[in-house]
Amino acid sequence: MSKSRYGINVARLGVCLSLSVLLGLGLPLSSGAQEDLPEGFKQQGLPAPLPAEQIEAGKRVYFTKCVWCHGVEGAGDGPGAVRLWPRPRNFNAGTFKIRHTASGQLPLIDLDLLQTVTHGLPGSAMPSWEGILTEQQRKDVLAFVTSQLVQDRSWQDEEFEEFFVLELDQLAPKEGTPESIKRGSELVVEKKCIECHGLEGRGDGNAFNLKDDWGFSIQPADWHKCWNFRGSRQDPYNVKNIFRTFSTGLNGTPMPSFADNTSVDERWDIANYVNSLCEREQEIKAPQGTVTDEIALTFSTSQPLGIDPLTDKPKSNFVVPSKFVEGDLPTDEHDERWNLIPRRWIAMGGQITHKPRNFVNRIDDMWVRALYNETHIEFMFRWDDRTKSIQEDEVDWDPTEVNLEDYGVEEQAPQGTTFEEDPFHQESIAAKQKDGYAVYNDGVAFQFPIKWQELPAPRKPRYFWGDERFAADITKWTADGTLGVYEGTGWDEDFTEVDFQEEVEVVKAEWANGQWTVIVKRPLKGDYDEVAYLEQGKYIPMVFFAWDGHNGDVGRKMAVSAFYYLVMEPPIPMSTYIYPGLITVGIVIIEGWVLGRRANRRKAKGHA
Amino acid sequence: MTWLKLVEGYMPMQMISELAGSILVFALVNWALNRAGMGIPKFWAGVGVWIYIQLYLKYRIYPPIPFSVRAIYGTVSGCGIFMWVSGSEGEWQEFKRPILNVMDGISGFHKGMRTAALIVIPLALGGFAYSSFLPSFEEPIELRTVHPAPPATTKVHGRTFVLQVVENPYRVNNDGKYDQAFTDARIVEQAMGRLMKDVNDPNYNPWDPNAEGYIKYVREGGEIFFQNCHFCHGDNLNGRGLWAYAFNPIPANFTDAGTIAQLQETFVFWRVSKGGIGLPGEGFPWASVMPPWEQHLTVDEIWKVVMFEYWHTGYYPRTWD
Repeated sequence: MSKSRYGINVARLGVCLSLSVLLGLGLPLSSGAQEDLPEGFKQQGLPAPLPAEQIEAGKRVYFTKCVWCHGVEGAGDGPGAVRLWPRPRNFNAGTFKIRHTASGQLPLIDLDLLQTVTHGLPGSAMPSWEGILTEQQRKDVLAFVTSQLVQDRSWQDEEFEEFFVLELDQLAPKEGTPESIKRGSELVVEKKCIECHGLEGRGDGNAFNLKDDWGFSIQPADWHKCWNFRGSRQDPYNVKNIFRTFSTGLNGTPMPSFADNTSVDERWDIANYVNSLCEREQEIKAPQGTVTDEIALTFSTSQPLGIDPLTDKPKSNFVVPSKFVEGDLPTDEHDERWNLIPRRWIAMGGQITHKPRNFVNRIDDMWVRALYNETHIEFMFRWDDRTKSIQEDEVDWDPTEVNLEDYGVEEQAPQGTTFEEDPFHQESIAAKQKDGYAVYNDGVAFQFPIKWQELPAPRKPRYFWGDERFAADITKWTADGTLGVYEGTGWDEDFTEVDFQEEVEVVKAEWANGQWTVIVKRPLKGDYDEVAYLEQGKYIPMVFFAWDGHNGDVGRKMAVSAFYYLVMEPPIPMSTYIYPGLITVGIVIIEGWVLGRRANRRKAKGHA
Repeated sequence: MTWLKLVEGYMPMQMISELAGSILVFALVNWALNRAGMGIPKFWAGVGVWIYIQLYLKYRIYPPIPFSVRAIYGTVSGCGIFMWVSGSEGEWQEFKRPILNVMDGISGFHKGMRTAALIVIPLALGGFAYSSFLPSFEEPIELRTVHPAPPATTKVHGRTFVLQVVENPYRVNNDGKYDQAFTDARIVEQAMGRLMKDVNDPNYNPWDPNAEGYIKYVREGGEIFFQNCHFCHGDNLNGRGLWAYAFNPIPANFTDAGTIAQLQETFVFWRVSKGGIGLPGEGFPWASVMPPWEQHLTVDEIWKVVMFEYWHTGYYPRTWD
């Protein structure tokens, strides 16, 4: 599948040479050369060299802002690099992922690279520099990077470089109709996209065998999180971005360009399908990637999630609503009653407060729904995880133990091993290869304060497993089948088992096509002093935790959320209907009185 | 609005000038229309401006301001408009004439309007009352003190620091003496971009191979920052790091004039050393994910990273006097 960076150049050596000669002479291109371009591309000449003053001005920008991650020589090895995944770009070889140019070619400086610096690369540490650097400063720094730090290639190299540019602005996007989406879903199978991106597009196919040009592990994109697409340009639901990536490929990665073996029309269909998979207000499932007419229609009509322009992620809402249902709680995820409540997006970040910190966090969000009846509450957690991880060997520690440093669970050192030096070092799993390290259990957990009713607002037990004064009630499930309820009294204090284990139940735990579905049921009430006593209509603080076993997550190495509030919504009281009725009637009376007075006054005036 | 961005740090000024500018434009248009003999009735001009301000506040400002605050702005702007339309007896008469015409039903059209108003007003207010009585579970608002009072002393790695007298040991001149004026001259420029003053001068460029003393310590602090802090505080120290979206309270924005620029360096040293868990109750120690950095860094490393934060943002630490 993977195409070498120079694959196209080699394949078209003859044409390239003749084109370069023609360009060098400034002659118009012959129609013969045009025919060889992939559909939707046009050839463009080499850019002029950038002035020395601009390069010098860019050096000042680079050494203030960029050097910290990209390094003095631009080799992507600044002080920040070792603890980052994805790694900062190594500029030296001139290999750039997001481009309008054909596979293997250099990017357009004033379009591709400027957009990257302007909008950042979501899902990586590269931020948007708009509003921080002026446009001139952004252009200056690109002049420095492209002329001084890209060493192996040059934009002015007439012999080896050429630019086939995707004419994205000239191509009108095909409308995302159900037919187009359905055809796209068939094309991703035909074009073998699913081999890496997985049947349902969660990036779970071949997820741990891929490497980039520098030997670092790289993972296929999860199509359900378009806001993390590197090329999303702060406009994640725009199908043009997907079309561009699909047409030009991502240089330096196993993602090839499909320009040669797909028509523009097919590419729009695929882009429409990939775009439709990105999570929306409504949860839509196409099991095994099979899109029926009905599913295609739902895809094409559902609303995108609101994106927060300050974070470029979906907007957060810190209230997790739960609705009352009659009778037994659902036994699986297909129960219609889950649709009574909106699913809530839980943002998750790496645990970087206490050792061992998790600098490379793989679970960056989770979806939660909750339903309750007279006696129990049920939570459905769904989160994307490219691998199902179940620890094969017996663990040496007890489920209640939290200090695992003694067992060799450590955080990534700041000046760590490189992949070449030590591919099997377990500290920096992110950039490593398959089977080189211990795999721990995937898992999910949530905590409530014990006796939250007595907390002096806004005091809570600390988000990290409670504290000395206020204990936390922690429900934790791990993929080996363990479900426990524990009392936590601090980040470094071992859990205490609570006599509640028999009461809680895993209703369902299934990993399929890159997604976990875990449904956990627990009683609303237990021993008041030992477990959270859940009540209707109250704000009950809640924190979520998740572990990805293939990422080396275990113990405190995990993903963690902020405080959310569980609210078990009570039935609507009668007063909601009575008072507005009274108010309406009252206003009608006042209106009559005002108009009557006015009419009387006019009458009196008229008589006088 | 993609063509006119809200500039970070200039938001209140930008809001006021945009509003003032658009009101000025309205006034000019109104004046021109009056001259052309096509003046807008005072009533509709007043109502129009008021609605414009409400829409501006609701859709232009980001992050969104809560309804209660918009209600205050609505009242204030309503009063302003009322003063404008009631400036003289003639204007006031002109303003209220359309209202009285509808109340009196002077024509068939006005009678229709009156009937419509009689029905719409009670229904609208009843609906408003219903939606406010309907139990809704919005996020509770919890006010947190971002910069609580520091203690007099703090103990880090077994050493006690008296915050009023301790000095950053790396804020030194070429003679190795504590010298804030010397270091203040070497921070980045306070212009857009906040760039270093001269990339080819080892006095200003921390990455210059010949950099020594203060400016070399800045680089060492930066290395620590980009190995530990940027995940939340961001590559530009503006609180928009890789995982900032997941945490609440949100990470501090050091480029904002209201954070480190307002604080003494020793205060920052204390906050960094003790982290979120070391805050007093009003700072919500239970919710902050800020690590107590004494668990990860040495005292020297903390001083260096604090100094780097001042260098990179172009701010001076506040002094005690």
